[in-house]
Amino acid sequence: MGTDHNCRRCPFLIPLPGVAGLKLRWRQREVYPRLRTILGWIGIALAGVGYLQAANQELSGPAPHASSYRAVLNRYCFTCHNENLKTAGLVLDKLNVENLSADAPVWEKVIRKLRAGAMPPAGMPRPDKATYDSFATYLETTLDRAAAAKPNPGRPAVHRLNRAEYANAIHDLLAVDANAIDIPSLLPTDDSGYGFDNNGDVLTVSPMLMEGYLSASRKISRLAIGDRGARPVFETYEVPRFVMQEDRMSEDLPLGSRGGIAVRHHFPLDAEYVLRIRLQRNARTYILGLERPHQLDVRLDGERIKVFTVGGERSDKPSAERYSSFDQGDYEHYLMTADANLEVRFAAKAGTRLVGVTFPTATSEPEGVFQPPVMDYAYARDYGHPDMEPAVGSVTIGGPYDARGAGETLSRRKILVCSPTGARDEETCAKRILSPLARRAYRRPVTERDIQDLLNLYKSARSEGDFEEGIQAALQRILVDPEFLFRIERDPAPPRGTAPGAAYRISDLELASRLSFFLWSSIPDDQLLDLAERGKLKNPAVLEEQARRMLADPRSKALVSNFAGQWLYLRNVQKVWPNPDVFPYFDASLREAFQQETELFFESMLRENRSVLDLLSADHTFVNERLARHYQIPNIYGNHFRRVTVSDENRKGLLGQASILTVTSYATRTAPTIRGRWLLENILGTPPPPPPPNVPSLDVKKGEGGIPLTMRQQMEQHRANPACASCHKVMDPLGFALENFDATGKWRTTDGGNPIDASGATPDGIQFQGPAELRKLLLTHPDQFVTTVTEKLLTYALGRGVEYSDAPAVRGILREAAAGNYRWSALLVGIVKSTPFQMRRSREP
Amino acid sequence: MMIFKKAMPRRTFLRGLGTALALPLLDGMVPAFARAADTAAKPAGRLSIVYLPNGIMMDKWTPATEGAGFQMTPILEPLAPFRDRLLVLSGLAHNSGRALQGENTGDHARAGATYLSGVHPRKTEGADTQAGISMDQIVAKELGKHTQLASLELCLDTPELLGQCEAGYTCAYMNTICWRTPTTPMPMEDRPRAVFERLFGDSDSTDPAVRLRRIKRDRSILDSVTAKAARLRGSLGPSDQAKLTEYLDAIRDVERRIQTAEEQSSRELPTLERPAGVPATFTEHAKLMFDLQVLAYQCDLTRVITFMLGREFGGRTYREIGIPDGHHSLTHHQYKQDKIDKVIQINIYHAKHFAYFLEKLRSTPDGDGSLLDHMVILYGGSLSDGNSHLHDNLPILLVGGGAGQIKGGRHIRYPKDTPMPNLLLTMLDMFRVPMESLGDSTGKLDLLSV
Repeated sequence: MGTDHNCRRCPFLIPLPGVAGLKLRWRQREVYPRLRTILGWIGIALAGVGYLQAANQELSGPAPHASSYRAVLNRYCFTCHNENLKTAGLVLDKLNVENLSADAPVWEKVIRKLRAGAMPPAGMPRPDKATYDSFATYLETTLDRAAAAKPNPGRPAVHRLNRAEYANAIHDLLAVDANAIDIPSLLPTDDSGYGFDNNGDVLTVSPMLMEGYLSASRKISRLAIGDRGARPVFETYEVPRFVMQEDRMSEDLPLGSRGGIAVRHHFPLDAEYVLRIRLQRNARTYILGLERPHQLDVRLDGERIKVFTVGGERSDKPSAERYSSFDQGDYEHYLMTADANLEVRFAAKAGTRLVGVTFPTATSEPEGVFQPPVMDYAYARDYGHPDMEPAVGSVTIGGPYDARGAGETLSRRKILVCSPTGARDEETCAKRILSPLARRAYRRPVTERDIQDLLNLYKSARSEGDFEEGIQAALQRILVDPEFLFRIERDPAPPRGTAPGAAYRISDLELASRLSFFLWSSIPDDQLLDLAERGKLKNPAVLEEQARRMLADPRSKALVSNFAGQWLYLRNVQKVWPNPDVFPYFDASLREAFQQETELFFESMLRENRSVLDLLSADHTFVNERLARHYQIPNIYGNHFRRVTVSDENRKGLLGQASILTVTSYATRTAPTIRGRWLLENILGTPPPPPPPNVPSLDVKKGEGGIPLTMRQQMEQHRANPACASCHKVMDPLGFALENFDATGKWRTTDGGNPIDASGATPDGIQFQGPAELRKLLLTHPDQFVTTVTEKLLTYALGRGVEYSDAPAVRGILREAAAGNYRWSALLVGIVKSTPFQMRRSREP
Repeated sequence: MMIFKKAMPRRTFLRGLGTALALPLLDGMVPAFARAADTAAKPAGRLSIVYLPNGIMMDKWTPATEGAGFQMTPILEPLAPFRDRLLVLSGLAHNSGRALQGENTGDHARAGATYLSGVHPRKTEGADTQAGISMDQIVAKELGKHTQLASLELCLDTPELLGQCEAGYTCAYMNTICWRTPTTPMPMEDRPRAVFERLFGDSDSTDPAVRLRRIKRDRSILDSVTAKAARLRGSLGPSDQAKLTEYLDAIRDVERRIQTAEEQSSRELPTLERPAGVPATFTEHAKLMFDLQVLAYQCDLTRVITFMLGREFGGRTYREIGIPDGHHSLTHHQYKQDKIDKVIQINIYHAKHFAYFLEKLRSTPDGDGSLLDHMVILYGGSLSDGNSHLHDNLPILLVGGGAGQIKGGRHIRYPKDTPMPNLLLTMLDMFRVPMESLGDSTGKLDLLSV
């Protein structure tokens, strides 16, 4: 919560006063150590005095009273957190315990530490559990009551749509396919704040972005309406070199096929198109696998349009690593050009269609020595193993040629709701087309002025072209409108007006937008917009019903890609590349599988409305053959993903998933510190402070006799230096428990010849060993985990960082969700019903 | 791919450089061939940076003698026709590219990041990348006021195809050599079609009527939007207005560019077709990109272009000249002669393509001379010995007339470890964008014009 580092400080850093010489915080500059010692002793003396008074209080009964809590504070807290010492920058003794809301930010920090059990630090006296808990509860209840009386819902900034939201909005508005145009690639990358790229403050508008919007709107509007003047364009789909093409590549390719590629290609017009195939080559640019003839099957929407035969024309020649052009020049030439004629011209109707290029599997094998599949991809791809199968390198689709018309694409059907019968009703038809588009794009009822703006552009384009070009120009105008690109929330105008700084309930239309961008990362649909226009969303039952409907809708998959993708660092999976010398089995298919698994897993949590805690403890996951091999789960065949039960205790839940384990490792080795930090930040909500500058990278030491040390032994260096140990004592043990998973998430029992020691201990002495026990330990603090999840969800939902003033709302959501064991729908609906989501603070004068 | 149907018509000279004359003339900037009528030297008109990755075989690059009578070496031989327009500069170094304590990898990342900035990049794999502002962006900020695009950043290698980056360093350091601010790397474009579209819009041809229509359409859309946004802004509170102000400022910027484009739209451009895809071979791809650059300069669509002929750490193979091995692995030749020979072949191949570029620049008229006369071109790389990852004695050529500020045909050797940023500072002066310092510079280079 908030950005105050003190709040985040590792709880075990507080110097123990009066015991000079013990570890000091690495950041603090000790100017007067002796003075501190003296004050420390005085503090202890006072604490001793306080003890006697408090002891009296305890005997008189458990009834909570402000002054009794002051006594608790006096005894256990003021020792360090007083005006003179200002430990961790926290001064409690001058605060008025009777009026907590005057210092709410401070007390929220206190609550946080108390609920984590982190304060007083280990070794210092602590009240008994009953008093401890009742104190924390007292603080919470008081602050919650104050917040209910005077809510502070925050004031999210004018909020630009990010790339993902823009693309989804275009899709929902115009039915333009993601395959037809890669919208995110038209715009520059967005920045992130607080871990999410939908943070309103950091989403700025630069001239480059504006140019991007202008050119994107032009392309999109032309594509949506259909551009009859489109010139031929060639689109190439590459199969990444290191994707294994040993098996059926996707559900979209026929059964009994091997390798190849299936793409959804957008054909802009009813016309003829050309398809060219290029096969994979090795490092010498010889085409792989030409020793025997193979067939290539080309299909359009499942219908075969061509079969090619390639290879086997020079079967008398042995395969070799290289050929000299002196005596084998023409065979070498053949190896380099055998795919030159793999081209077919065909007719296709406008729209997005499935194009598949693949090799039908041979039903018989030639006799000879059986070769196992080659797993070392570097060798296989670069040199070309004999008996290797040919593979598709790329498919290029070009066109349109001889266009016959714009056809009937999904987007044309959606947009062109009428077609003019003559010149006289063109303008009426244009209005009929543009009004609903403007309404959905601007997310509010259209005004006469909106229509006029659009008609002006329609008319000027119409005068130079035809009706559809006029519509296209108006559509382009809609897509760069500030009310499309931004979510703007307005303080209520007089007479409804509010006092400055007061909280007010946002309008139904504004609420509809917040709701759809939260759950769908897109614009509201017609049903939601209708209800908002009629003022029905004010009704809590209607609001909840809509929220549940939207969660059940497939569009809520956006939560997986955008929320989970960023919260769990899943987006990094595409960027990691484990070192092929150390992990020769790693390839692009495996990487894809990593990402798919966690996305399907998270989605199953949402769709089955599981408890949030099941993220850690669920006994199922999703694998395909490649991934199952990686996890050593037997008897899984085929490229498609299916649900399996995880019986291995160590693999259960998120912590056993290769995606998480790989993005928290280096390219050549595991990094327990990174894994520990990931857990602290994303699961426990207590991220450590950043390391001091100029930390040298770990010295890779050798042990005795040149035997390499294990990762754990090397990390002892962290403990050796007390300045480092303070944080690493917390982070490293969590990572050690996962050491059995290597840097690609594979299970191992040795590291460099030494057996793995996966034991760890928390700073206050709780031991654990291995992933299963780590998981149990994390689940003994379920509150911390669900609080973290809720805070992350709230950050994502509001598009702003979560502040101390939101803590009462978080607590409220959790209280309600606790009854059902913290199911996802309870959290998500709880957020929708919460004060920060439904209200806004009006501007200060 | 490219079909030129018309001959290139004459161009009018650049407008809008009048402010440059007010600056004092700096020592060493007096052009050798200044005409009597010129009381002040003209600033250079265009900047081009062509980058070579992975180091060069220096013993075949560096001429044996210094001064004017030097012998062309095998690698520089393709550039012999332009001998009198180029300066071979030896001895420059990027001290900021060397490894600091704790950095045992990253020479390629540092090479790329320091080349135009002289600032040691932060070692990180995360989002907190930090390098230094690059010299081309400084020039672009100034020259970009007069052109549709402030600068263009081009390359031939897409980042994805080339595998991992150096451990400990994010790929951002190797994917680009241009940094607009210390934390904003400029993405590099490798697709000729995308470059074409940035220059000429996404119409399929450079037909002026089509372009003009598109420009007018964009203009009217932006006018309509501006009116609405101004209305909207008025109805919001001060903190909310800021976002809409940003939006309006961005629009204004785009409108200015559109206006420049409109003013220039009446110029005849050589008719050419939009490139459809990425050419399969290096030579086709490189030549196409060079063609687009010449066109961009010629039509004054931009005056600053940076082009990476290859990416640091890149493993491109040059099958068409009989080299099937990856470039980067070859440069780690371990002193094996066959590998060294191949690297030399690659270096020569690059130089041949650069010569193609220079020939086009020389034969394109520009005002009272050719494009080459008014350009400053930096051709070189940020590593000398690719085998040992050395950041000193860099391979550097300064080519072009620089509007008379470069007196070519000489090989100049600077004292060992003279900072390369000194050259960058000197180049900034040529464009009348003087800076006190850049990266770890210690002053300006002399001997450039004398």
